[in-house]
Amino acid sequence: MSAAMTPLLWLALVAPLPLGLLALWKPPYRMRDVVIAAGGLPLVTLWLLSRAGEGALQGSLALGGLSLHWRLDALAALLLLLTQLVLLASAAYAVGHRRAALSGDASHARFWPLLGGLAVALGVIWVAADLLLLYAGLELMGLCAVGMMLLPGKAEAIRAGLRYLLYALVGSLAWLLGVALLLGAWGTLELSALAAVAEPDITTRIGMALLAGGLLLKAAIFPLHGWLAPVHASAWTPVSAVHGALVVKASFFILIILWRLLLPEAVAAAWALGLLGAAAVLWGGLKAWRADSLKQVVAWSTVGQLGYLMLAFPLLAGAAAPVAAMAWQSTWLQLAGHALAKAAMFMAAGNLMFSTGASRLADLAGTSRRLPLSLMTFGIAAVTLMGLPPSAGFTAKWLLLQASLASGQWLWAAVLVLGTLLTAAYVFRMLRCSFVEEAPRHEFQPLPRGMDLTPLLLALAAIGLGLVAEWPLSLLRQGGVP
Amino acid sequence: MTSIALILLALFCLLDRYLRRACVVFIAFALVMSFAWWRLGAPWLAAAELLLGALLTGGVLLHALGRAGDVPRLPQRDAPTRRGAQAPLRWLAALAWLGLTALAMAALFGTERLILAAGRLPEGGMISLVLSGLLVMALGLWAFAHYRHLLRRLLAFNVLGSGVFLLLAGLAGTAPEVQGLILVGLVVALVGSVLGVLLLRRLHALEGSVTLESEGGP
Repeated sequence: MSAAMTPLLWLALVAPLPLGLLALWKPPYRMRDVVIAAGGLPLVTLWLLSRAGEGALQGSLALGGLSLHWRLDALAALLLLLTQLVLLASAAYAVGHRRAALSGDASHARFWPLLGGLAVALGVIWVAADLLLLYAGLELMGLCAVGMMLLPGKAEAIRAGLRYLLYALVGSLAWLLGVALLLGAWGTLELSALAAVAEPDITTRIGMALLAGGLLLKAAIFPLHGWLAPVHASAWTPVSAVHGALVVKASFFILIILWRLLLPEAVAAAWALGLLGAAAVLWGGLKAWRADSLKQVVAWSTVGQLGYLMLAFPLLAGAAAPVAAMAWQSTWLQLAGHALAKAAMFMAAGNLMFSTGASRLADLAGTSRRLPLSLMTFGIAAVTLMGLPPSAGFTAKWLLLQASLASGQWLWAAVLVLGTLLTAAYVFRMLRCSFVEEAPRHEFQPLPRGMDLTPLLLALAAIGLGLVAEWPLSLLRQGGVP
Repeated sequence: MTSIALILLALFCLLDRYLRRACVVFIAFALVMSFAWWRLGAPWLAAAELLLGALLTGGVLLHALGRAGDVPRLPQRDAPTRRGAQAPLRWLAALAWLGLTALAMAALFGTERLILAAGRLPEGGMISLVLSGLLVMALGLWAFAHYRHLLRRLLAFNVLGSGVFLLLAGLAGTAPEVQGLILVGLVVALVGSVLGVLLLRRLHALEGSVTLESEGGP
């Protein structure tokens, strides 16, 4: 392990904040500027990943009498890379979006420091190895996300943002109470020490239940998803993309890591979480199918796709090693594929809405001829969500299917099939609306090239991830299932 | 003594329909919290509570009500609330939260381990901290589930948070980890209150509404 790795890692983690502040002072006017300023960060992470074979990088920060532990393993590095790529794409898109849709809106400059803060928070969450650092990261992320949602400043945005704020604040108190119980019972906040001493007794279970309640609320898992769709309805497109792709996933990540450490054998509770996920897949799919506006389709599809991630809990609990390995790999591949595809989908939907000036599905008539590129991007992103080969979604769902059949848990296989059908239903409903030809509309706003190109690249990356899935999966295999 | 003062102040703060008085009582509550930290041997935490809790959060909540002569100005008194359609769900969540916590406390105090783990506080002090934490938390949860007025919900959130802090200190003493957690919690409560108050004022200016429900909605 070379001595340069730790400082480089922290540089890559913290750099987005000064970049965001710089952009507040001097907002970027070309996408190129963003790529030049922040394009080096994914390269640093790639270099760190290439050294991942040498074992996890870890250490602690001392603050007064307090020491904060962090740890970068292959999973954390892969998630960091994913975060940097999606945030970079969103930042590039935001430049075009501001120029095309929001020229003269001074509040846009505030987007940049919030994006920087969000990037730092997500990075801290991926590498945190104690509950205090996780708490700080989670809160910074939540507050930055609320701030970004509020930027449009309209009454609906404020209402949705306030609801999100109240939910997030109460969720974080539930989390803090759970942490208090764990600390009171076992006397430590460091994850590895906690895993060594904690027994799955009633206090640990209740502490985890409270933690899980707070995290499920923040991750918008059924039945605590009520805030998600209204929040997206009025948010700016790049903000929706970042939120749907990354923010809700971070809470899920914390939950599954803590669950594997503290309650790996709790089968009944894991089944309860799996059933919530199954309900989310079906309910989210149905609501997306029935939704009127394009953005609501994409937002409800997030609720449904998050449900697939929850199926990992019953498949991991008390499972044989090969089943657990398959479920573990499938979860992270599904998360990465969905993050890329969902960001692409929100951007493509935003492009369609901006060009037509309308948000309802029925108003999409004629877009197939006038906006083929945005529509194609939407379709390519949908390939990953539906789980068609060769996308990342296909490989992930294939692994999940194998795991559920190998462990004899047929129910999840049925959920997978039904969820895929529902996804196909809402995607084709949207595409059908766009192929209607008797269009009264002839004015379409022209789109800057970069706004078309960014989501296309993301959607293609989601497909490409399925083709090169062996690379991240082999890195995950080295780490093993915790 | 401190515990009883905290519970009474929380009660007065959450019951008062005159919002300005409720905010002033909240500041008194935060001052007593600060005193409690000082007595527990955590002077830095006491200073943080004084600055972040009493001065800034309290000041921000008062700022929400505006000064005499502001146009438009938030109504200074909250009318009695109607029950919403989601009220039973909120009550269920609040009761589950309280019941689980009480169960965990009972389990923890049944074992000797907790007392060994904390070690710093005399047993009586811990129990009174935990009990007052539970009661303050219960008051905050009740108010959060019951009221619709956003300023009262923000007050309830702050009281609920203080209850969690008291419980945390009762369970684990004032170790550096605990102080770190409470410090992050105080900063989050402050930023959350600032955002909430700014939004509430803006919502009121745009639509004349002080609740999340739109006019004519549930």
